[in-house]
Amino acid sequence: MAENTFAAPDVLVVGGGPAGISAARAAAVAGLKVLLADERPTLGGQIYKQPGPGFTVTDPAAMDRQFRYGRTLIESLDGSGVDVRLRTGVVAVEDGNAVLVTEGEPARTVSAPRMILAPGAHDRPVAFPGWTLPGVITAGGLQTLAKTQRVLPGKRILFAGAGPVALAFPAQLAHYGANIVLALEAGPSPRPADILQVARAASGNTALLLDAVRYRTGLLKHRIPLRYGQIVVRAEGNGTLERVVHAAVDADWRVVPGTEQTVDVDVLCVGYGFVPSLELLRLAGCVFDYREDLGGHVVHRDDWHRTSVDGVYAAGDGAGVEGSFVAIDEGTIAGLAAAMDAGVLGKDSAAKLAAPARQRLSRRRALSTATSRMYRVGPGVFELSTEDTVICRCEVVRQRDLAPAIESTEDINVVKAYTRAGMGPCQGKNCQRHIASLIAREHGRDVSDIALATPRMPVRPVPISSIADHTIDGPGLFVAEETEVAP
Amino acid sequence: MTVPQWVSAESGRAPLPPSTDVVVIGGGIAGAAMAYYLAKGGAEVTLIERGELNREASGTNAGSFHLQLAIHQLSGQGGDADRDRLLAEARLSVEAFAVWEGLGEELGGSVDLHRTGGWMVAETPEQLQILHDKHELEELAGIETEVVVGDDLRDRAPYLAGNLLGATYCPVEGHANPLVVAPLYAVRAAQHGAVIRTHADVRAIEVHAATGARRFTVHTGAGAIDAHRVVDCGGAWAGELAKMVGIRLPVRSEGLHVNVTEPRPRMFVPMIQHIGRRLTLKQTENDTFIIGGGWPTPTAPPPKRYPTSWHSAAGNTAVAVSVVPGLADVRVVRTWSGVIVFTNDFSPVVGESAQVPGFHACVSSTGFTFSPLFARQLAEQMLAPAATSPFPQRYSLDRVPAVATY
Repeated sequence: MAENTFAAPDVLVVGGGPAGISAARAAAVAGLKVLLADERPTLGGQIYKQPGPGFTVTDPAAMDRQFRYGRTLIESLDGSGVDVRLRTGVVAVEDGNAVLVTEGEPARTVSAPRMILAPGAHDRPVAFPGWTLPGVITAGGLQTLAKTQRVLPGKRILFAGAGPVALAFPAQLAHYGANIVLALEAGPSPRPADILQVARAASGNTALLLDAVRYRTGLLKHRIPLRYGQIVVRAEGNGTLERVVHAAVDADWRVVPGTEQTVDVDVLCVGYGFVPSLELLRLAGCVFDYREDLGGHVVHRDDWHRTSVDGVYAAGDGAGVEGSFVAIDEGTIAGLAAAMDAGVLGKDSAAKLAAPARQRLSRRRALSTATSRMYRVGPGVFELSTEDTVICRCEVVRQRDLAPAIESTEDINVVKAYTRAGMGPCQGKNCQRHIASLIAREHGRDVSDIALATPRMPVRPVPISSIADHTIDGPGLFVAEETEVAP
Repeated sequence: MTVPQWVSAESGRAPLPPSTDVVVIGGGIAGAAMAYYLAKGGAEVTLIERGELNREASGTNAGSFHLQLAIHQLSGQGGDADRDRLLAEARLSVEAFAVWEGLGEELGGSVDLHRTGGWMVAETPEQLQILHDKHELEELAGIETEVVVGDDLRDRAPYLAGNLLGATYCPVEGHANPLVVAPLYAVRAAQHGAVIRTHADVRAIEVHAATGARRFTVHTGAGAIDAHRVVDCGGAWAGELAKMVGIRLPVRSEGLHVNVTEPRPRMFVPMIQHIGRRLTLKQTENDTFIIGGGWPTPTAPPPKRYPTSWHSAAGNTAVAVSVVPGLADVRVVRTWSGVIVFTNDFSPVVGESAQVPGFHACVSSTGFTFSPLFARQLAEQMLAPAATSPFPQRYSLDRVPAVATY
């Protein structure tokens, strides 16, 4: 069945967000045969998420700016020859092969000499008392509802978060008609020195600064009060969210006693930044560094975005959370690198083609250094949970259930084995960071020293009907392949 | 639920004592059980583990305890060649099961023992014949099984595929929790005075001419310890340890692949195995399905974990869904690998070496089922040699020619 097999590509690009799209385009333009797979029904990734199936955009001008950016980016693939496969998740990589699962179809193993992994990021999970109550939702979750389904939950929304998203997100949501009664930013309010530093770094960053101004204006326009140095302490309610308690924090995001305040809301949207989706990169065997400002564990890369594994490249938020503009440029560099390494693009040409992207990247990174005081993640964010707080929501494991296991080991795998934390459908995406920080605290270690659990496929749940291959002959009886002979 | 206490990381990483009576090497179920029975019997014991307790086969197997004879015990040489050994193994299973039944009480904690019953299915006439043959042996050994065919099988197990020719049912087999048994043994061993040390990899074992406390020096990455006696509970790495004293064990290791699914409403209670294809299948107490049965994985040097294999996942789940068609839409959430020891002649390696007196081993395939029994028996022998009968000759540590000295 021809339509049921994917032609073996020169390069497989995983992820159809800004990084994946620009990587695929750069590699294809340079002459490589590119297969681009994304598990969603539309391209654009999280940031440029397009309306879901069943929606038709009749007036693009009426949509938000991210929709329009995304549309332009997606359209840039037209005529590029990139083989785009949607609803197709890459669930495993092993030895230069990737396993692709298209919804409702049998898995296909695709051999690709090169892979550009652009898996993106997800909301940093933060476990505080009540975080599993209905009515508590992540920024990414709410964004998906708004962008793909055009719906907003609840009547009174409190946003609690930090970083660029804390400014941007409430403004965007207000655009969709959300009633945000209060926005809390855990970080400090900008000081004159910060603004000066940003201004100095901003030459060539006007687009980003404009965005920032636009978002701030958006908040003012929608009369959304924004309070700096405030963190969510707990969510309360009988079976569903009724109120949120928040408090002032110090520079490390640790709660200042006696500053608690309560707000009645029915939705709490939590957005303490994003963390890279590591699963495929870890499965591929890549080496990692630790950069808290980029989301914690980040894949180690050279300046062509090659990882430590031959033929595997990484780009975008999945390689360190820096946003969509950085992702687009990183994707271009990774795509050019794959073409250069495959021998279809000369070194000099590649360097020349990559130069504009590199220039933009260095400017943007100068800005993020300037804003790092405002946008860093305080360790206090991992100290909100109490004995009774559910840490692993899939398996309902509370902090007190974890304590004896954490006392016995620094190994997350062992904690998992003793408590089942991390064994559910999310496979630890929500609890692993928090458990690592609990281990680090118990044993007086830095959280960066605590290794994550053994990566295992599939990176997303896959139905047995898609996995099972009835043509495989079993290995049969358990007999030694050869009888040992005495020397 | 009462939260169990485990051996603390702090004590696990404390310095090794300079000497002891018995050094047990390996922190899986065999080693932890050895340490427990020896310490409880009054011996001075130090257990040494390379990494963390229970991280290899003991903690990564699917938790079944087997009573029915199964595919991994068949040599393929035909019923007559295997008959005596299989009968002996069936009898041993009964003894092993008796230990398991008392284990929760012995250790004062739950090992999540569940007697679910178990099916062993056959698809072909040849496989059905094997079921009849093994049923006969099981009867001789005192294991209750019955051969169920046709409509009777459909009525009793409607979840099984219609094309299966028959199955044997054993009402008493089932499973326990592999994640807690060895750690529980270890914590109780420590309470009886055993020293438990983790993160100490054995690099060499010196055999001294002298007897007594300086019979052996075990060199580890965390220091050296003198011992009168050593017990090799290294599982998949037992052969490497034995080689350090010049003994060649008839063992090999294989990486095996396991799949686990999301939870689903209860579909069936008994565990399900296949007599002719590699499959063990159970729906756990958490309502997830664990699908294993010995599909291979690639290898990796320690401390890396063996990778899992998409090929094995695809083959193993194909067998599972052809036996239980209702699994088709259930989603696999994770796979893992375990490194398992196999003995080439299917018999365990248990006892004291004649070539190197003082060097013991407690190694068996299907170690989760048999280790509590063998560890208890070996500990009894080490504590009171005169009062116990020797292990059968086929368990001998010395049954293949020694490694050439170099």
